[in-house]
Amino acid sequence: MNILGGRFFNLNWLKKDPKAKARANALPRPQAIDFTPLKETRFVVMDLETTGLNIHKDQVIAVGSVVIENNEIQLNQSFERTIYRTLNKVDDTVLIHGISPEEIASGEPATDVLAEFMKYSGECVFLAYHAPFDQGMLSRALKRDMGLPLKHVFIDVADIAAALFPGVNLGRSMQNAGLDDWVEHFGLNVSNRHNASADALATAEIMLILLREAEKQAIDTLAQLAEKVKGYKRLRVMKR
Amino acid sequence: MRYPPSAHKPEARGYMTQEETGKSAVQQNMRALMTFLTQYPPFNQMEASHTALLLERAVLTFYADGDIILSPDLGIVDHFYIVKQGHIRGERKSIKDRALINGTTISSADSIPNENTEPDRSPSATFEISPGECFPIAALIGERATRTVHRASGDTFCLKIPRDHFVNVFTESEIFRDFCLRGVSSLLDQVNRKIQSKAVETLGNQHSLDQAIAELAVRNPIVCTPDLPLQKAIGVMHNKNVGSIIITDDSRQPKGIFTLRDVRRVIAEGQYDFEAPISSVMTPDPMSLHSSASAFEAALLMAKHHFAHVCVVDDDNALTGVVSERDLFSLQRVDLVHLARSIANAPSIVTLLSIREDITKLIDTMIAYGAASQQLNHIITLLNDYTVVRVIELTVQSFGDPGIPFTWLVFGSEGRKEQTLVTDQDNGILFQAPPGMTDEDARSVLLPLAKEINTRLDECGFTWCKGNIMASNPDLCRSLKEWEEWYSRFIHTNTPENLLKSSIFLDMRPIWGDEKVATEMFKRVVGIIQKNTLFQKMMAACAMHHRPPLNMFKGFIYAKGGEKHTIDLKTQGLTPFVDAARILSLGQGIIESNTIDRIHALVKCGVMDNKDANAWIESYGLIQLLRMRNHQEQSRTGKELTNRISPAQLNQLDQRILREAFRQAKRLQHKLEVTYTL
Repeated sequence: MNILGGRFFNLNWLKKDPKAKARANALPRPQAIDFTPLKETRFVVMDLETTGLNIHKDQVIAVGSVVIENNEIQLNQSFERTIYRTLNKVDDTVLIHGISPEEIASGEPATDVLAEFMKYSGECVFLAYHAPFDQGMLSRALKRDMGLPLKHVFIDVADIAAALFPGVNLGRSMQNAGLDDWVEHFGLNVSNRHNASADALATAEIMLILLREAEKQAIDTLAQLAEKVKGYKRLRVMKR
Repeated sequence: MRYPPSAHKPEARGYMTQEETGKSAVQQNMRALMTFLTQYPPFNQMEASHTALLLERAVLTFYADGDIILSPDLGIVDHFYIVKQGHIRGERKSIKDRALINGTTISSADSIPNENTEPDRSPSATFEISPGECFPIAALIGERATRTVHRASGDTFCLKIPRDHFVNVFTESEIFRDFCLRGVSSLLDQVNRKIQSKAVETLGNQHSLDQAIAELAVRNPIVCTPDLPLQKAIGVMHNKNVGSIIITDDSRQPKGIFTLRDVRRVIAEGQYDFEAPISSVMTPDPMSLHSSASAFEAALLMAKHHFAHVCVVDDDNALTGVVSERDLFSLQRVDLVHLARSIANAPSIVTLLSIREDITKLIDTMIAYGAASQQLNHIITLLNDYTVVRVIELTVQSFGDPGIPFTWLVFGSEGRKEQTLVTDQDNGILFQAPPGMTDEDARSVLLPLAKEINTRLDECGFTWCKGNIMASNPDLCRSLKEWEEWYSRFIHTNTPENLLKSSIFLDMRPIWGDEKVATEMFKRVVGIIQKNTLFQKMMAACAMHHRPPLNMFKGFIYAKGGEKHTIDLKTQGLTPFVDAARILSLGQGIIESNTIDRIHALVKCGVMDNKDANAWIESYGLIQLLRMRNHQEQSRTGKELTNRISPAQLNQLDQRILREAFRQAKRLQHKLEVTYTL
């Protein structure tokens, strides 16, 4: 009941704020999955920190992301923001993320952060590890806080990795494999994991390895990559 | 913290503005990169703001193993690179004379072609750029193309900074500028100087044991003919104030030696005739070594035979000098000779025990003098062999002779002559039941004796074998026939357990008793293995389980269990070499059990290239040395001796050496894979 109330409240608030609406109108177009070469694609690799894992209930509290362009991580285009939220209680996940209630209390308004993030993202393909979660979270936040649909395409880095390295033994099934498993498999030096931007960077580093592997497998365009991932997913369903 | 909306100036695609960039530069990832960079020069001395400035326009790129990053034909370089993870190999044609490839251990291993690069790189010199290092500074400043092909050696991440931005930082930071300019003349030389100074520091005066005996020997030793009367000979020794006289023939070949100790012996025996020719009391056929032999070899020879003098001879076996125990001691050389003699003559276990405490001290001194691990292994094995033999002799004395001929066998590292200070017992007995006695009878007589020997060895520091691979185990006390049958079964029923055991039982050596029986038997065993390619292949597959602990970026893979973030130098580092050498040499019917001897033998029968073999021997030795240094350190500080080492606690040079050695282990495993098409 509380959630529903909050939702109405937020939407009403949005309608009263013309500045927010203007920003919302400036949402960039999504990058189409077409014959754009991977090398010319703008990938925004993101990681969200949330109050929990429930897409319908929990809230985004931090956004971290880095950009891959020209098959390189553009470090100066990193993005990290903490979102202001009123929290009922300090629950465990907050402790895991290491984002203190004080930090959240001093965060920026969700609308500002989301608008800024979308503007920053531009015409891109979003990448995330276990992307459906981030997609769901971002999509819901955009709708709730700004009343806008999210049209950008998300590709799951977990799927790309599994599709390009089908023979890798991670000690567990590909679907159950976490970011840490691939980080360990590739032997990446990652500092400060479980921080949104560090996780985004780790995911991006994995993506660089994957892009090089794609090149080796003669996968050069977004369409080919999407096809490869689709093929892998189809196979996964069949195996089940 | 809120930012006024006016600060957001939208750009073409809505990317971040300058202000935002400034803000993002202090973000987590940038902070992590800054922390990374500040571990390395020149960034550790640069102002943080300058390092941040450098990173502001950096991108992170990835290169797969073998990818070329820069090469002379790519034109003027337009980026500055810092290795973040992995390695870059520089390949330059024909600069053989660079100091980097002179003698230092790393570079000689480096010059062995990696299997991922073109095989024909004979005229090129190579160097490796490790994490935290930058390139190609000289080319950037000279606004030219590189002269070196820069290739990813293993998968690699680099930070890449555009040239104009590099110039900005170059202008801003004096420390960065200094670093770049100093590096221009020769980055290689700089790296090399670092390596050399470290090498001198850690190895001390290396030549002390490697020095040729010709340099130590007394030239023109006092000599005489065999017919010189005893009294005259002693007179000469007295007048010249020397401890020994060498008896030579017309062509200066040493025929005998007479020393002060012999004077004592002759007089003590009481039947001397001062007019008798010296040849009647001399020690005939004195030990001699070629003048190019090392001081170490001389010490080892003396220790083995309990003599105090060695003749030094030239190519024609003509006497050129003599080296005495005292000559070795006078240069503060090790107590090896004395120690070996004391062990061999120890009257009791208690004495043995106290003597063995000196071994640790001895090894300490030897490490300080820069002994190679092979030499250390040799000495420890030698002294251990003496101890085992003495323990057996003493036990047989107190137990009484069992009347059954038996051979004492040692297995595993002892069998390979590769023991270090941590050692447990792996032994067995091969007996021949006398007529009228069954194998069972003989065994029941020998087992109590074996048990006593095992117990006493345990007291002497050879700890009880956890797997009960000991002579007192009825399963390891067998007759020749039983052993042969057992080995044959072992090879033909290649169960996983047997394959694991092969690393113990196929490294075998007799050290007491009739050695010929054991050697002959082992030759037949090796013959069976040579014919059984399936067994070899299964052993090879089994050996692949011990992977050298390097990930694809040449970072260390830590060992599971035990102390965190440590590497097990034995199972992770040495075992790949030991296993591969064993399998390849058994495949060739080679009966040597020592890893280095095996590799040498493999070169002889054409299985290995000489250059590869040297790189492998060297790498194996380096890991072994690191392991022993670790043991010494642990025993000094009263800690339990382990094979675990924390790479983070090694200096940069040792880390590099270790990485290079592990890379060689990978190559050797690769050879095994190719040989057995795994």
